[in-house]
Parts: sequence; structure tokens; C-alpha cells
Amino acid sequence: MVSEIYTHKNMSPNSFANDGSLSGKRVVIQPNMSVRGWLCDAGSLALKGFVALEDATTVTRMRNAGVELVGSSRMSELGFGLAGDTATRILSGGEADIALVTDTMGEARVAAAGSGIFGFKPSFGIVSRFGLVGLVPSMECYGILGKRLEDMIDTLSVISGKDKDDPSMPDEGFPDFTAARKPLKMPCTAGVVKECFDILQDRERKAFRTGLARLEEAGLTIREVNLSDFDLFRVVHNIVASVEASSSAGKYDGVRYGHRSSSGKNWNDMYLNSRGESFGSLIKTFLYQGAYFQFENYPAFENACRNRRRLVRAVVDLLGHVDLLVFPTMRLGHDAEKAATINHIYDAFLLTLPANVTGQPSLHVPSLALHSEVDIGVQLIGLRLEDPRLLSIGLKLSSTAQGGSAA
Amino acid sequence: MEYHDRSPSGHLTLSDTGKEVTLAGWVDALRDHGGVLFIHLRDRSGIVQVVFTPESTPQTVCARAGLLKSEFCILLVGQVVKRVEGTENPGITTGDIEVVAKDLAILSGADTLPFQISEKSMVAGAAVKREEGVAEDLRLQFRYLDLRRPRMQDHLIKRHRIVKAVRDYLDEQGFIEVETPMLTKSTPEGARDYVVPSRHYPRNFYALPQSPQLFKQLLMVGGMERYFQIVRCFRDEDLRPNRQPEFTQLDLEASFIDEEFIYALLEELTVRMFQIGGIQLPRPFPRMTWTDAMNSTGSDKPDLRFGMTFKDATDIFAETNYGIFRQILSRGGCIKGINLKGQSERLSKNVLQNEYAKEIVPGFGAKGMTWMKVMDGGLESNIVQFFSDYERNEILRRFGATKGDVILLIADPSWSLVCSALGQLRLHVAQRLDLIPADAFYPLWVTDFPLFEATENGVTSNHHPFTMPDRTDFDPENIDELLSLRSRAYDLVVNGEELGGGSIRINDRDIQNRIFKALGLSYSEIEAKFGFFLKALEYGAPPHGGIALGIDRVVAMILGTSSIREVIAFPKNRSAFCLLTQAPSPVAVEQLAELGLLELGGSQSFPGSKEQQDLIDSLSWVSRIRMDAEERPAIAAAIDDAKAYADLINSRCVEDEPMFSVVTVVNRTRQGTEARVSQLAEKGELLKNAPSTKGGYFKVASILE
Repeated sequence: MVSEIYTHKNMSPNSFANDGSLSGKRVVIQPNMSVRGWLCDAGSLALKGFVALEDATTVTRMRNAGVELVGSSRMSELGFGLAGDTATRILSGGEADIALVTDTMGEARVAAAGSGIFGFKPSFGIVSRFGLVGLVPSMECYGILGKRLEDMIDTLSVISGKDKDDPSMPDEGFPDFTAARKPLKMPCTAGVVKECFDILQDRERKAFRTGLARLEEAGLTIREVNLSDFDLFRVVHNIVASVEASSSAGKYDGVRYGHRSSSGKNWNDMYLNSRGESFGSLIKTFLYQGAYFQFENYPAFENACRNRRRLVRAVVDLLGHVDLLVFPTMRLGHDAEKAATINHIYDAFLLTLPANVTGQPSLHVPSLALHSEVDIGVQLIGLRLEDPRLLSIGLKLSSTAQGGSAA
Repeated sequence: MEYHDRSPSGHLTLSDTGKEVTLAGWVDALRDHGGVLFIHLRDRSGIVQVVFTPESTPQTVCARAGLLKSEFCILLVGQVVKRVEGTENPGITTGDIEVVAKDLAILSGADTLPFQISEKSMVAGAAVKREEGVAEDLRLQFRYLDLRRPRMQDHLIKRHRIVKAVRDYLDEQGFIEVETPMLTKSTPEGARDYVVPSRHYPRNFYALPQSPQLFKQLLMVGGMERYFQIVRCFRDEDLRPNRQPEFTQLDLEASFIDEEFIYALLEELTVRMFQIGGIQLPRPFPRMTWTDAMNSTGSDKPDLRFGMTFKDATDIFAETNYGIFRQILSRGGCIKGINLKGQSERLSKNVLQNEYAKEIVPGFGAKGMTWMKVMDGGLESNIVQFFSDYERNEILRRFGATKGDVILLIADPSWSLVCSALGQLRLHVAQRLDLIPADAFYPLWVTDFPLFEATENGVTSNHHPFTMPDRTDFDPENIDELLSLRSRAYDLVVNGEELGGGSIRINDRDIQNRIFKALGLSYSEIEAKFGFFLKALEYGAPPHGGIALGIDRVVAMILGTSSIREVIAFPKNRSAFCLLTQAPSPVAVEQLAELGLLELGGSQSFPGSKEQQDLIDSLSWVSRIRMDAEERPAIAAAIDDAKAYADLINSRCVEDEPMFSVVTVVNRTRQGTEARVSQLAEKGELLKNAPSTKGGYFKVASILE
């Protein structure tokens, strides 16, 4: 069943696994996550009418754990940005406890920041992407939204872990999410990147300082750190993501599925027209940028990847001196849902995309960085695979925040 | 053990029984019967079974034999014995005997093979192994292993025999083989050249020959009288499945001859070549003018293994009331058709109307097709009610139609379009209805081609500008007259495939000048391109002519292989890439610098690189995404951003390995060795999401050649 906020509404969400660890939890997914028999169009004409033939691994695992899948939300085209995404509306309306949102440049965290709930992007490579219709394979992952961090932790324990159907997953250990419930080891130092703080507007700084003060109240030590190449995150993300998008969107040919142009006398015309009509203007522009680097300036792509290594190294170095890095989540005056050009979208996700470039876990905590009723969010970033630690800090902060508001 | 007295394995027979023989070759297959080991030993001559048995073979030799695996290269001594009755293997020529091993040396071991080489079963009556299972790209990558297969060996040996037959026959006929240069100047065949940079003349290039055309004519001027060459030619043409960037040609030229000489010479030559494949070509080869070929088959390389030739029906409809035909005829058009004898039951109205008339024939360029089924009561069709009684009766008479026939007509204002569309339709229907006899060979000569073809602003040579016209008194400025000229050219066609072509050449400077004038070439252009050649025509050039045959194609046809790559030892693949050597490949900057090629890009501008407009069009093309005019400004702005990002990222770059993924990339091989069909494909589910399917396949628009 189709509605304004659902791409697919599940009319029989009841789970048969009543004794699973997520028993009774209601989850809404996006229509780029495969559920057999559900429309899976990833918000794009390029997948018009595509009905998934198999379940994504996450879906299988959640169902086995007792989840009730309430349906799939509406989403931005191919998960790039947040235009038209309804996941947070479904959560706010109380129709689901957890939402899964593809996080390519910070979508899950920024969406959460706009709705006063938690948003988490796990470490790259710990959740199987089998059955996920992706766009930027080296950066995207399942992001998780929810009101209760505990639910999110339980969901992560279920969906993370090795999957033979996703050969892109690395051969390394997986985080033990039960550790997230253990009390946080103190002392704990949070680093604020000076180069990031400097670009904030006054109002944003004030809100962010409020958030930092709450961190200190919770017992964390705040330190200023330097990341001189901070400005490169955006450029590296833009170049790498556009190239990967151009490459992975190559499969949309209007032959096996999706929209087929009614004009076109021969194969080339059919292909050009079908793809020309399939992609919306934002994605199309992005794909052209990708094609530029792919076909006209490949050395720039390679250099972007060299700089990516440097950025990862720099952040890992910083995380040797502090326990986590802290950024605001979203920016004021840059509405992610209304971003209509590549530049606008990168403006809106400027503070969340570094974690996608480095593949590190990142947690958005609501209700801390408030100033004049505006919550720009506090975003914590830790080392790869140290997701549980980050979540335990989140638990501590949220209990402090609740304690604070109760007082 | 010594190699020099070894016997060819495949030549051993019952008469060798009792002899001790030395054999060398490769282990084709093994079969271990608990203590008794059988192997198939293969060398170029064939396969023989060798037995290692504790009763007759020394124990150390048996132990050594236990190490053998497929494709080990070995040397052995053994005794030929008759096989026990009932154990003969008729699948191999030596199936009546086997060799009991006395001694064995492993000359060279072999790794696990990328694919199976053995083609012969060790057990009589077992299934013959087929080559289709191995991907061609893998075969090409390991061509040296592929060449060990008896089938490939047979192809190359037969090719050798065919080429040797050519050399022997031409030698008998007084032809001498002369080599011509590979590093040469661009010749006027019209395809793109492969160019070779010259180090001594920086920024100057040799061209690899597209054919030795001018050299062979100069050999005639040089008084060689009869020349031939088995020569490699190079053409940088668009990729086609059955085309190679380099190919082998039999090139020949003779002086003081006419067309009849060539026809007689080539007929005997072709017959001898096909005999090597056990094929007797029917003689004499018939001849057909180009006009007749077009009028009766719509092709300049007619496939006459089956009938269904065209009949012209234009005159029948001269007074017709059927609007579409009347309109076409009023514009000077024509109507032609074919009769599919007795095929009415196999071609339903639905197929004729919805497949052929609506889809297939429009794909051949015609606007439509008229079909008529011949029934008891006359013609049946969706338009036959518009035809008069006279028209219906005349059609039946003209096409010799009887009950059960199907008549297909194509009408169009353009004669050449009618011919070409009906010609393609003829082949399509013949293939679909399986009307082409499998083992038939139908050679013929096609003659009297038009000398020129019309272009937008004049004429161009149909063959090449050195071909002699049928008459020499033409006015080089009268285009109508030029287009009516026929050339003294001829093509040898077998089964609808052009195996070769040639012509009588111009040996008179004045005629040659007028041809160039007709082509609109200026004096300076002529001088720059062919000056050296025209000069030669001023020194007593004899009348001469010649022909060239595509050897790869001829051999492939004689051996009945699926592609010409099967008869070439080291071919490129369909994408003109050599998987074995990985050519073409980049060269070092130093090498480019030495050749003076580094600066070329800087000093010359390439088409499409100049303006932003072109860049965006090119991106639209390479990424196959059409863009509207109103989308262009936003895309242009985004590309400008991308360029600025590229500059920024390049300026901040560090010497480091690029990081393509934040996790360690692991190469994985999927479990299982057998290719299997996905269940989703088997159940047809993969087709469910497709916008258009047909008969269990995805349906797409036709691919433009």
C-alpha cells in the first residue's frame, strides 16, 4: 500500500520470532533496502517499479530477532541527501521505534538532529550491505535513528557481523555491542577541532558551547585540537563520492528494471534517453561531476584518494591523544531537505561527512547543543570498531541530560 | 632414452605390434585402475594409450608414473601390443593398440590447468568433451595451452596446407612471391591507419599497410609480370565480432592479362584450397553483374545456396487504387517481392504482421512490408481487399505462387532501399525457417560494379581510384555520366560472404588524371598522396590487374569454424586486445620523449577538448545520460566546481598510496567451482522487473552497427 509517507506500508508486520532480542520493536526502513515483494525503487525513476526479489541480510536478521517491519519510508533519490525523506516523520508520529536510513554523507545524523532524536552511523564495514541499493560503496552504510539509544544498540547487535553474501566486508573482528551498556571508563577527553570551530557562525558557536558545557558536566574533559586539512574533507568526499556514484549508477540501463524511455531508435539512444529521463537534476549533476573525474581527470580522483589516506591518518593520530572528537551535527541556515545543488547539499552535510570519509563511527546526541530553542546537535566521533564505547558515552550523556532536565 | 628416434604416437598401428618404440609428448588424460595406470599420450600426430602395469613395467618406472598429472611433458619407451578384445577405443586412431611402458622420464611438470585440454575420452563410447564450456577470453589468455588441443592443431595444420597449396599452384603458374614493406606510407584503402612514430624524423609517422596496393602495381611497372604475396595487412576499423586489426591476405597481381585470366586462375586456386577441407566446389563459378545481384538478392554478395530471389512487381501496380503503392510509384519508386514456397503454415498472420511488418522490416530501414498468404480461394492479407482482380492474378502468376505460399512485398520510392531491405528480409526469413542447406557451397563472381558512388557534392570511388572503368571516354565533370560508369572490378563471393576482390587497374596517366579530376582532388593533393605512384605510370606501365583474398576468412569457411580467431594462432579478442601479451599497453615517458611525442598534445588541439560545451557533450556521451538545454547551465557550473576541486586537491597532494577503501580490500572467490544458473533466472523472476521482455529475454532497441 502506498501513501504520502510510506513507499510500502506493511499490512502484516507481525513477526513470528516472538522471543527474539528485538521482539515487538517496530522498524521502518528505506525503499533501497530489499524486502522480497516490496517496491524497492530507492526514490528514483531509475528503479521505477522495481520489486525486490530477495531480502537484504539486515532484514532477515531483524525479522529473525522479532522485529516488526512497519514499511519503507520515502527517501531522497538513491539516498543522496534528505530531500523528501519521511523516516523521521514516521518516528515522530510514533509509528516506529527505529528507522534505518542510508548514511552516505551524514543523512542519518542530520535527519536525527532535525527531529530531536538519536542518530548513529556505525563503523564502515560492520553491517552487511547485501540487499542495499547503494550509491557510494566506499562510504555508505546503514544509519540508525531512534528515540531510545538502548533500542538502537540492540538493533546494531542484531544487524552487525560477518555475512558471506557481502564480500566487501573486511576480515576483521566485529564490535561487541553489549559492551555499550557497561559504565563508561573515566577519565574521558573530547577534542574540538579548531579549524571546524572557526568556521561556525556566532549562533552556532553559542549553541555548540552549551553542548560542550553539558559534556563537561558529564565528566568529560574538553580539549582543542588541530586538523589543518579539515577543509579537504568536503572536497575529497565530493570527488570520491561522485566517481563512485557515476560508476555504480552505470547499471541503470532501463533494460533489466527501471524506467525505459519511449523514444530511441537504437541501443545508444535508448540508453541515453532512459538514463537522461531517469535521474533527477541533483543526481544527474553529481553523476556528471563523477564522469568528469572518471573520464577527463582521473589523476584528481587518485589524488583525492591519496588525501583521503592522509585525512584518515590525521584523525587516527588525534584519536590517539583524545578519546573522541566532537562536532556540531548540523548547520544553521542550511536546510538539508531543501538543498537543490551539489554545493548546497555539501554545505548542509559539511560537519557529518568527515566520518563517512574516514569510515569511523559517529553518534548524534540530541538536546545538548541548545541555544534559543535551536538544537544543532552534538556529534561524537571515535576510532573505527570502537562503536560500543561511543554509544556508552552517548548513554551517559543522555542520562545526564535527562537528569539535568528533571532537576 | 633419446629423442631423435621417437615415433609419432598417432601413427602407431597394429602392424607395429611387438616393436619397442620411443614416444614423447604430453599426458592428455590418466586413469588409475589400482596398480595399473593408463595414460593417453598426446603429441602433434595424435594420441596413444600407454599402460604402466606391475607385471611388465619396472617398479621404479611405475613409481615415477604415479607422479604424472595432466599435461606433464614426458618421454617414454615401451612395447606396442594389441589391445585385449573388447577394450578397443574407436574414438582415437590408435584405438586397436596400446604401449606397455618400460621406461619413463618426466621432462617437465605442469601446474593445475586453467581449463581442460583433453578432447578425447579414454573410454570407448563416453561423451566427447566439448570446447564451448571454456570462455574464449580464458583460452586466449592461455593460448599456448589452447593450441595443444587437437582441434586447434588441426586448424593450424590445415591452414598451413591451404597456404602451401596456394604457393604451389601460383609457383606452377609462374608467379613469384615478393615481400613489400611494412613500414610505409598511408595508402588509399579508406580505413584508419595504424601509425608508427619515427625516431629519426620526430613527429613523423610510418603507416602499417592496409594492403600492398601501390607496391604491387609498382612491381608490375617493375616488370615482375606475375607477383603474389601472403601478406599481413592492418586496418584500424571499428570493432566487429569477426574482425581482426591485422589479417592475412593473399595478394596477387599480373601483367598482360584480362578478367578472364583472373577468373580462370582464381577458380582453380579456390577449388584446390577448398579440396584441402574435403569440399568439392561446383564448377564453373557462375558470374552475376552487380545490378543483377542487387535486383535479385538485394546484396552485392548474394547468398545463392537457397532460392527466394526477388521478382519485380512494379508494373503490376502501375494503375493501382491502393493509395500507399500509388503514392510510392508516383514518386518513381519500385515494388519487389519474394515468394516463400510452402511456408504458409510456419508463418502465422500474427508473425507476419506484428513481428515482420511492424518490427523486423522497419529495422531494415523500410517503412513497411506487405504480406499475402496464398490460400485455396486466392490471396489472404490485411490489405488484399484494396487490390484489383488483375493485380491479384498477376501477383500469383509473377511469383509462380500456389497454395501454401507466402508472398512478401516491399515498396519504397528508393530502389536501393527496396533492394537492401528485401535482401535483409530474405536472409532473415531463410535463417528463421532454416531454409539454408548446411553443407552447400555456392561460389560466384560478382562483376560490373558502379565505378563511383554519389556523395553530397560529387562522387567517390566505390573500390579505389586505380580501378579501370568499363569505358574511358567519359567527361570527368558530368556527374550523371560518372555514376553510370561500371568498373572492371570483380568480387569472389561464397555463400554470401565476400572472400576477395580485385580489378583491372589503370595503367595510363591520362585516364588516372581524369579519375582524380572526377573525384575532385586538387593537383597538390594528388601530388602529396600519390605523386610517386603517378610518376611511375609515365614510364611504360604495362596493362595489369589483380586480386586479394582474405586468407583468415577463407580458411575459417573451409574449416567451418565459428570465428576467424579459431584459425589464427595468436589472435586479438573481439575488442582488438591481446589477452596473452596484454597489448596494447602504455609505454614509458622516456620512450615517448625519445620519439618526440611528448609535446604533440600540447602544441595541437584535439577535437572536443577546446570548449566547455564540448566537454559537457562528451561527458553526456561517455556517461550515457542525455541532458536538456535547461539542465546544461547547472551542469556546467558543477563541472566548473569539479575543475576547481581538482586543482585544489592536486595542489595539496602528497606522495602516498591512494586509499580506495578505509578497510583492507580482500580478494575473494565465490565457493564452488561449477557455474550455475541463478534460481531467480531459472524461475523467470529476473524478468519480472524488466520494462520490456520477449520470449524469455530482455528486449532492447537494436544495436547500431
